[in-house]
Amino acid sequence: MDDDLLSGHLQELRRGTVVLACLALLRRPGYGYALLESLDQAGFPVEANTLYPLLRRLEKQKLLESVWNTDESRPRKFYVTSPDGERLLRALLEDWNSLTTAISTLREGNEQ
Amino acid sequence: MTTLTDRYVYAALRALPEQQRPDIERELRGSIADAVDARLEAGEPEEQAERAVLTELGDPVRLAAEYVDRPLYLLGPDVFLDWWRLLKVLLAVVLPTVVFAVVLANLIAGTPAGGIVGTAIGIALSVAVHLVFWTTLVFALVERTAPEKRGLAPWTLERLPQMPTAKGRLADVIATTVFAVIAVGALVWQQFSSVFTDDSGAPIPLFEPALWSFWLPYFAVLILAEIPIAVAAWCTGRYTTRLAWINVAQNVLFAVPALWLLFTERLFAAAFFEALGQPGLDDARSPLVAVITAVTLGIVVWDCVDGFLKVRRTGPVRAEAV
Repeated sequence: MDDDLLSGHLQELRRGTVVLACLALLRRPGYGYALLESLDQAGFPVEANTLYPLLRRLEKQKLLESVWNTDESRPRKFYVTSPDGERLLRALLEDWNSLTTAISTLREGNEQ
Repeated sequence: MTTLTDRYVYAALRALPEQQRPDIERELRGSIADAVDARLEAGEPEEQAERAVLTELGDPVRLAAEYVDRPLYLLGPDVFLDWWRLLKVLLAVVLPTVVFAVVLANLIAGTPAGGIVGTAIGIALSVAVHLVFWTTLVFALVERTAPEKRGLAPWTLERLPQMPTAKGRLADVIATTVFAVIAVGALVWQQFSSVFTDDSGAPIPLFEPALWSFWLPYFAVLILAEIPIAVAAWCTGRYTTRLAWINVAQNVLFAVPALWLLFTERLFAAAFFEALGQPGLDDARSPLVAVITAVTLGIVVWDCVDGFLKVRRTGPVRAEAV
C-alpha cells in the first residue's frame, strides 16, 4: 500500500486521541516540553507545534487550568486537568471503550 | 546579540494580538530552551541544536495562527459554495448588462466599430475583476468575523435543481413558438406599418422591400422551422444529437445569407436610415453593421453550443419521469 495513503489514514484515526492523552497525563501537573516527552513515551507521538497551541485551546475551553511556576531559574507554565476536563476525559474514555467493543464485534463477525 | 530564537519568537509574536504576547512569549521561550537543553544533553553542538529545534517548530506565522485559531485560508468550506454561487449569478447578470449598456451608449455617441469593441472588452474585464475582488473580500471578512457560518442560508430540499424533464421542454416549445411568431410578425409588420412614412404617407420599411421576392420569406420559413424542432424534442422526451445538428444547420442557413446581404448592403432599406436621421448607417463599414455581425455570430455560436449542452444535460433522462 501507498505509504502516504497509510499514514494519512492512521493520522485520521489517531486524531483526537492526543486530547484524550493530554487530559489523562495532566491529571498530574505538567509543562509543555515535559508533556511532549511523556506523550512520546506513552505512545502518542505529537509535534511540538501541534501540542503547544493545543494546550492553549484546551485552556481556553476551561478543560485545563494553568499556573506559572517561577521557583526554578526557568519559569514554566504548568497545566493541570480541570474538573471540566476530568468530565470530558471520562466521557472520551467511555466512548473509546464502546468503540473497542464495537470494533471487536465487527472483527468477530467477519471471522465467522 | 540577537539569536535565531529571538528572531523566531519575534516573528511569531508579531502575528499575535497584543494582550496574548507576554504569556505566549514566556512559554514559547521556555519550551524552546527545554528542547535545546535536551539536545545538548544528548551531545549536540549548541548552534546545531537551536537550529534543529526551531526548524521542527516550523513557520512561526503558522505557529502563531495555530495559537489563536486563525484560519490559514481565504475562504473556508462553510462559505465557499455561497461565494461561488453568488459570483456566478453576479457575473452572469452584471457583465452582459454592462456590456450591453456600453455598446448602446457608444453606438448612440457614434463611436467607430473598433473603438466600441475595445471599450466593451476593457470595461467587461475591469467589471469582472471588481466583481470577483469585492465579493471575495466580503466573504473573506465573513469567514473571519462570523462565529457561526454553516452557509449563509441553511440548505433545504427546496434548493434542489429540477430534473430536465419533458415539462421543461414544453417551456422550450412555448418559448420557441412565441419567439418565432413575434419575429415573423415583426418582419411583416415593418413592411406595412413602419415607424416612418414617406412624403406620400406610405410606410418606410426597415428591410429592403426587394428582398420579399425570395430572402425575407426564406428567413421567415427558417424561423418558423424552429417550432417543429422544439416539438420533436418535446415528443421524444429528449434532445438528440441529430436535433442538435439540425439546429446547427438552421443557424448556418440563417446567418450566412443574412450576413452576406448585410455586407453587400442589400439587407436594409437606405431610406429607413435617412428617415432616422442617420444616413449611411447601413454602410458595410458602419459600426451598426459591426455590432450586428458580432451579436449575430455570438447568438449563432451560443445557440449551436447550447444544442449540444442540452443533449448532454438531458441525455439519459426519459420523459416518462413526469
